[in-house]
Amino acid sequence: MNTHSKTRALSIIKTWGTLMGFLLLLLVFSSLRPDVFPSGRNMKNIIEQVATLAIVASGVTVVMVTGDFDLSVGAIASLVGVVAALLMKSGLSTPISILIALLLGTLAGVLNGLIIAYGGLSAFVGTLATMTAYGGAALLISKGTTIFALPENFKVLGQESLGFIPVSVLMMAFTVLVVYLLLEQTTYGRRLYAIGGNEEASFLSGIRTRQVRLIAFGVSGFFASLGGVVLTSRLFSAHPQAGSPFMLNAAAAVFLGMTSFREGEANIMGTLLGVFIIGVMGNGLNILGINTYVQSILTGAIIIFAVLLSSIAKKRQK
Amino acid sequence: MNGHDVLRIEGLSKQYPGVRALKGVDISFSSGEVHGLVGENGAGKSTLIKILAGIVRSDEGVFQFDGRERTITSSKDAARAGLSFIHQELNLVNYFNAMENIFLGHRYPRHWGPLVDWKRLREQTREICDTLGIDLPLEKPVSHLSAVQRAMVAIARAFAVNGRIYFMDEPATALTDVEKEKLFKVIRSLKDQGKTVVYVTHNLDDILRITDRITVMRDGQVVRRSSTAEMTKDSLISAMIGKNLESAFPVRTGTIGRPLLSVDHLSNSLLRDISFTLHSGEILGIGGLVGSGRTELLETLFGVRSFNTGTIRLEGKPYRPSSPGEAIDRGVVLVPEERRKGGLVLSRSINENITMMSLSDVSRFGFIRHPHLRRRAQDAGRSVRLKASDYTQHVDTLSGGNQQKVVFAKTVMKMPKVLMLDEPSKGVDVGARFEIYSIIRDLASSGAAILIVSSDFNEVLGLADRILFIREGAMTSIHDNEGIDQKHYLHYCYGRTHA
Repeated sequence: MNTHSKTRALSIIKTWGTLMGFLLLLLVFSSLRPDVFPSGRNMKNIIEQVATLAIVASGVTVVMVTGDFDLSVGAIASLVGVVAALLMKSGLSTPISILIALLLGTLAGVLNGLIIAYGGLSAFVGTLATMTAYGGAALLISKGTTIFALPENFKVLGQESLGFIPVSVLMMAFTVLVVYLLLEQTTYGRRLYAIGGNEEASFLSGIRTRQVRLIAFGVSGFFASLGGVVLTSRLFSAHPQAGSPFMLNAAAAVFLGMTSFREGEANIMGTLLGVFIIGVMGNGLNILGINTYVQSILTGAIIIFAVLLSSIAKKRQK
Repeated sequence: MNGHDVLRIEGLSKQYPGVRALKGVDISFSSGEVHGLVGENGAGKSTLIKILAGIVRSDEGVFQFDGRERTITSSKDAARAGLSFIHQELNLVNYFNAMENIFLGHRYPRHWGPLVDWKRLREQTREICDTLGIDLPLEKPVSHLSAVQRAMVAIARAFAVNGRIYFMDEPATALTDVEKEKLFKVIRSLKDQGKTVVYVTHNLDDILRITDRITVMRDGQVVRRSSTAEMTKDSLISAMIGKNLESAFPVRTGTIGRPLLSVDHLSNSLLRDISFTLHSGEILGIGGLVGSGRTELLETLFGVRSFNTGTIRLEGKPYRPSSPGEAIDRGVVLVPEERRKGGLVLSRSINENITMMSLSDVSRFGFIRHPHLRRRAQDAGRSVRLKASDYTQHVDTLSGGNQQKVVFAKTVMKMPKVLMLDEPSKGVDVGARFEIYSIIRDLASSGAAILIVSSDFNEVLGLADRILFIREGAMTSIHDNEGIDQKHYLHYCYGRTHA
C-alpha cells in the first residue's frame, strides 16, 4: 500500500512537479513583495516581456521534438531584425520589409535543415556553425551598430495594443496555437514525435525522416524570425546581437517543458510553462533588486533542479 | 582436457512473462576445455549467457566457482568471477589503439607518478600477445583493424584481467576462412593456458572442429551432453530438433495466384545473382544460416539497400525503391527483425504505432481525424487479435507477443501487396506464436505475397509454399516445400542443392 501511494506521489511530481514549482515561485515573490509583484500591471508586464521568447521557443520545440537542437535561433532573430530595419530605412514599405526579412530567416532555418538532415552534421555542430555565420552576417550588414529611427508604423507589433491586449501577446498566442495544432493535430506532428521516439522505426515505416527534420528547422527559423521582428519593434531599434539571449533561454524553456505534462518529450504547453518560469524569475528577482548575474546563476540552478527532480522520479517509478 | 570444474551451474531457471526460458539447467565448464553450446533459436542459450553476464537475473539456480558458491547480479560480479564475453559487437573504443584497449579498465603501467609508462605498456601488451600467439598492429586505432583482429583485442583484454571463462557468441560469422583459422589458433592457446572457452554458434562444422565437449539445449533444457568425438553433424541436428514436434501451424486455405514480384539476377555488395518469382497468395521462405544474406535480401527489396545489377518488377512494372517510403507507396512492406529497434516507437501509444505507416489514410488536409484514426486502429488491432483494453497505452508496457501484433496491425492497415517478415516470431511466446502464424496465413489467403525469413526452420517449413536457400549471399537452390524435413533443410542451408 505504502509503496503504491509512493509511486503515485512520484508520478504526480513527475508530471506536475514543474508546474507546482512555478506556482511556488509566484507565491514566494508575491509574499516577498505583495505590493508590487502580484499587481495586474506587473502581470501584464511579465506577459509582454516573455512574448518574444515564447515565439522563438515554440519554434525550437518543433526541432527538439525530433531530438535535434537549434542553437542558431538567437542569431537568426538578430539577423532578421537588422535586415528588416535596413529594408525599412531603404524606403521599402514596412509590411514588405517584414515579409522579406521573415522569408530570409526561414531560409536560414531551411539551410540548417539541409546541413543537418541531409549533410549529416550533428544538430549541435551544424547550428553552432550557422549561429556563428548568421551572427557574423548580422554584424556585417549593420556595421556592428544599432539601427535607430525606424518608421512609426513599425511600432504596431511590439508596442501597441489591440483593445487591451498587446499585439506582441497576440502574436505569442497565435504562435502557440499554430505550433500546438502542428504538433498535436497534424500528420506532420505525428511524424515528428515518431522520429523523436525511434528514428529507425520511423524510417522503416516509410516516414521521410530527412524531409521531416528539414521542415522542422525551417519552422524553427520562421518563428525565430518572427520573434526577432517583434523584438525589434519592441525595442524600436535593431541591434546585431539583440537576439543572442534567445539561444540559451529558448533551449532552457524547452528543457524545463520536457519535465512537465509529457514524459521527457518536448511539448508546446511545457515550453510555454518554461518560458513563464524564466520570465517570472527575471521579473521577480528584478523587483527584489537582485542583480542580473545572480539571476543567471539561479536560472541555471532551477533548470538543473527541475530536470534532476523529474529524472529521479522517473527512475524511482521503474 | 581433464581439468577441474571451473564453473558448475545447477538448477538454473528463468521465467519470462508467458515463456519459461530455462527449466532447471545443469551445466559445468572445465578448465582447459573448449565447450560448444548449441541449440535452435529460443532453446535458451542466450538467456543462459545473459544470466551469466549479469544482464538478466535468474529465478532459481546455484553457481559454483571452483566449488564455492557465488551469486551474479551485475556485470561487475561476472567480471570479478573471471567471466568474459566476446560478442559480435565488441566493446572497444574505436579510436584507441590495441594497447590502450587491452589495458582499458585496469591499471596502465605508470612512472613518475601519474604518467603512463608507454614503453612498459608496449612490453606488457607484447607479452600478452605472445602468450596467446596473437599478432596485432599495436599502434593503429582499432577501427582500422579487421574483424578478427578486433575480436583478438577483446580476447587479449579479457586475458589481461585474468579472465577464466571466455564466452564467444557467433564470433566467426563475419570472418573469412583464413581469419577463422587465426581465431581458432588463439582459442587453442587459451585452452593451453588452462582457460575455458564456451563457443556458441549455429555453424555445426565449426563446433565439431574446435570443441572438446558439446552441450545441446532445446526448449530451455539440456538435452544432450557428450564429448565432441562421439558426435556427428547428424546426431547434433537430431538432438537440436528433438522428436516431439507438434503441428503448430495453421493449414493453408487460399490459392496461389498471378505473379506479383519477379526478381531477376539481383546482385549488390552482399547478394549474388538472386532470381525468383513471387505470386499473390504465396508464402516463400528464405532459408539460410544467420549472416547468409537473408535479411539483406529483404532490405534490398525494401529500398534500404541499393542494387547495381539485375532487375525487379512489381506487377509487371519496374521496381527500384530508393527508400522504405517508396517501397511502401508501391505496396511492399517489411516487418523488421528487431521489433524494438526497427518496428515500434516504444514511447508512443498503440494508436500512434498502428497508424504511423498510414497517416494519410486517417487525415484530411494533413490534419488527423482522431475518431477515424481510433476506429481504424481498433479495426486493425482486432484483425490481428491484439489483446489490449486501452489503445492509448504506450507499447513498451505490452508483452512481446502483443508488441509484435502491433507491428502486424500497422502493416495490415497498409494492406500490402508484398509483405516481408524477418524473424516474425522472435521473442514471442508459444501461445501468441500460433496466432501470428494464423495472421500470416490470413494475409496470404487475402492475396498478399509473403516472404519470410526465420532462424526457426520449423517455422519456415510449417508456413512456406516454397523455400529459397541462400548461402554467403548467393542463391543456392529453390524447392517446393514438399517432403523437406529438418535434416534436408539444414543440408540445403549448408549449400547442398539436393538431399
